[in-house]
Amino acid sequence: MKSTDQIQYESVDASPVKSFFVLMLTRDISLEDAILDLLDNCVDGILRSKIKQRGAKPYKGYKAEIEFNKHTFMIRDNCGGIPWNLHDYAFRMGPASGRPTVTPGTVGIYGIGLKRAIFKMGRDCLISTQNGEHRYEVEIKPEWIDDDETENAWKIPVKPAKRSMKEDGTTIVIGDLYPGIAVRFNEDIKSFQSELYRMVATHYAYIIDKGFEVVINGDSVQPRPTRLIFSSDKKTPNVQPFVFKTKTEDGVEVFLTVGFTRPIPSQDEINSEQVEKRYSTHDAGWTILCNDRAVLYCDRTELTGWGEAGVPRYHTQFIAISGVVEFRGDASKLPTTTTKRGIDASSQLYLQVKNKMREGMQIFTNYTNKWKGQADEAKKHILRGKPLSIEEIKEETEKLTFTTTKQTALPGKQYKPLLPLPKKLESQQRRISFTKNIDDIKNVSDYLFQDETVDPSVVGEKCFDLILNEARK
Amino acid sequence: MSFHPPYHLRLNKAIDRFILIDTIIKLERINGLALANYTYYGLGGPYLEEFRILSELCPEMRMVSIEKDLDTLKRQRFHLPCKTLKLKNTDMKSFLINYDPRDEKSIFWLDYTNFNLSAIEDFQIILGKVATNSIVKITLQAMPKDYIGEEKAETFRMEFGEFMPDPSIDPPLYKKDFAKLLQDMLQIATQQILPANLDTVYQPLTSFYYADGANMFTLTGIVCKRSERKNIRNLFKNWRFANLNWAQPKHIDIPFLSTKERLHLQKHLPVKQKNTGRRLMQALGYKIDKNTSAQLMKQYADFYRYYPYFVKAEP
Repeated sequence: MKSTDQIQYESVDASPVKSFFVLMLTRDISLEDAILDLLDNCVDGILRSKIKQRGAKPYKGYKAEIEFNKHTFMIRDNCGGIPWNLHDYAFRMGPASGRPTVTPGTVGIYGIGLKRAIFKMGRDCLISTQNGEHRYEVEIKPEWIDDDETENAWKIPVKPAKRSMKEDGTTIVIGDLYPGIAVRFNEDIKSFQSELYRMVATHYAYIIDKGFEVVINGDSVQPRPTRLIFSSDKKTPNVQPFVFKTKTEDGVEVFLTVGFTRPIPSQDEINSEQVEKRYSTHDAGWTILCNDRAVLYCDRTELTGWGEAGVPRYHTQFIAISGVVEFRGDASKLPTTTTKRGIDASSQLYLQVKNKMREGMQIFTNYTNKWKGQADEAKKHILRGKPLSIEEIKEETEKLTFTTTKQTALPGKQYKPLLPLPKKLESQQRRISFTKNIDDIKNVSDYLFQDETVDPSVVGEKCFDLILNEARK
Repeated sequence: MSFHPPYHLRLNKAIDRFILIDTIIKLERINGLALANYTYYGLGGPYLEEFRILSELCPEMRMVSIEKDLDTLKRQRFHLPCKTLKLKNTDMKSFLINYDPRDEKSIFWLDYTNFNLSAIEDFQIILGKVATNSIVKITLQAMPKDYIGEEKAETFRMEFGEFMPDPSIDPPLYKKDFAKLLQDMLQIATQQILPANLDTVYQPLTSFYYADGANMFTLTGIVCKRSERKNIRNLFKNWRFANLNWAQPKHIDIPFLSTKERLHLQKHLPVKQKNTGRRLMQALGYKIDKNTSAQLMKQYADFYRYYPYFVKAEP
């Protein structure tokens, strides 16, 4: 053993090991989210190229096609390609200094989405891109991932693309899939494709609604955007959504709206949902959009203000309440997490907006509670309105009178609807409920309606009405 | 009093039941799965029909009937076909909570007369609990007319969206397509509960749709080791009723024929040439239906071995 005075103290190697990135980066992201990251890159491409059109369908003509099988995953877009001046940044791990200013409207800021998605799936990848006169290919091979020793270990060779594309865009083909990924693209393809389809239809609903097309294994995804009931009836009170809008000092535009998507549920619907789950999917809760992309979809937890500061916890009776918050601006100012599918709950901007979310939500939880037991009557008000998309709500509410909210931490403008309330706040009605033997109910149902399958509540109500008529005589 | 249609007299269902028995026999005969080591669980209704048939097939097999209605339970006690059958007065959900088979193999028939989310969840719970080489069959109502119109289609999407291959579509109008949709939904349910990184898989064996009144869809499969799947497929690959790759479910729509007609047709069966239906129609010498006579005859040729005889008998 050498004595310490013989050792030459030199520098130690603190360079990162590639396998660390490959393993650790991909661990905290689901496969579906990784694919959504790649879709985000497509849309960022449109915004970066500033080729987005104006009007209601600014993304029309732009498309991302996703195909996968047990051997490969491919995503192909016509969204402008990766400009050559960005090549050094697009492929670096993390946001390299010197990167050109982030384009407004994009969501990528951490510089890991593309790499993380690739390494999540496989060890072989070919990226072909065309942006104007630049056409080039970047290939990541398994040997590159394994190489930590050579001098150029972190360099990836770029070569000119052999063929030109019809339109500027990017194609990413990932091969040498990890076994866990290959089985999802093969044996579990039906459930995986269904799940991915649903995630794209919800998280990308607003962009698809604005003209963008996403095709998964040949099927074009139909969006499921939130639509809120809006009554244009001049007579107030009527059912309209709450709206709050503002622009922060650092340029982030916020548009918040919350309202009803459907009539409030009847007591029977609430009761049956309590006994067993009735719906596998439903659209209640908050959706948060950052530059058109949903980072949170139909959340019904404290994260979006449910069960906090005067707002009741989410419960089936609030199944009709839904809200959307739209943040638009410089991606680094938006309250998202690195996975872009989550909200940074500690963001100051988000905390201020959350106050407004709770304020808006209370109008509708209060309405639901006031009309409890009178769902049929409340339904009439709601059916007088029409379900409108967020863009349509923006347009319609332009005509309404907004108040300024200067006194709050987040100044802005808001529209507070005046919802119809029962004539007497203290309902003159009381609910009667009782349980009877099912065979006896069928028997009475058959006696009253010549049909033993009539809903028990209808049977009970009919019995009461008959006796009431007798009593009034 | 609960009303029960005469399940045991339903022709198409009777055929489906006999095909289940054949499936079990095939598995036992070819794969050496000793039926005596299995427990059969079913919702037998008042007449316990399949329990009666199974007890004749394998008297040693343990059987459990699950029935929540007390009056029906009393009728079951009356119809009890054998000593090995235990009658449980409970609903399926409560039963499944306590169901703990360990390594004991099961045959389950979730024979529902309706279709809701809870049925798919029961199916998933069972797939997650049964021992390897257990057989699980599920029957669901498949009535496309119940979901016509925007509001009903939306309710369908809300209820079943998580299992739909394309959660944005309206449920299809045709029975054939609706049956395929239900099968796709059950396939997704199996992949959710037994994903490919687990070493067990639900291998479908047969699937049919039929109507004896209400339209029904039924799927039978086995929970087996992934490594065994190829062998099981090989066992069934030449069986005309097998559906081993989640293909379009087969239709059972057997015509009602008199005993005299059936005995006459028997002489011409099996038909090996093409145009089976037309050949049998010619053999009979007349049409039994204005438009679909040849199709019905083809159905008869396909399923006649399972066609029960109903005869008047002295008690």
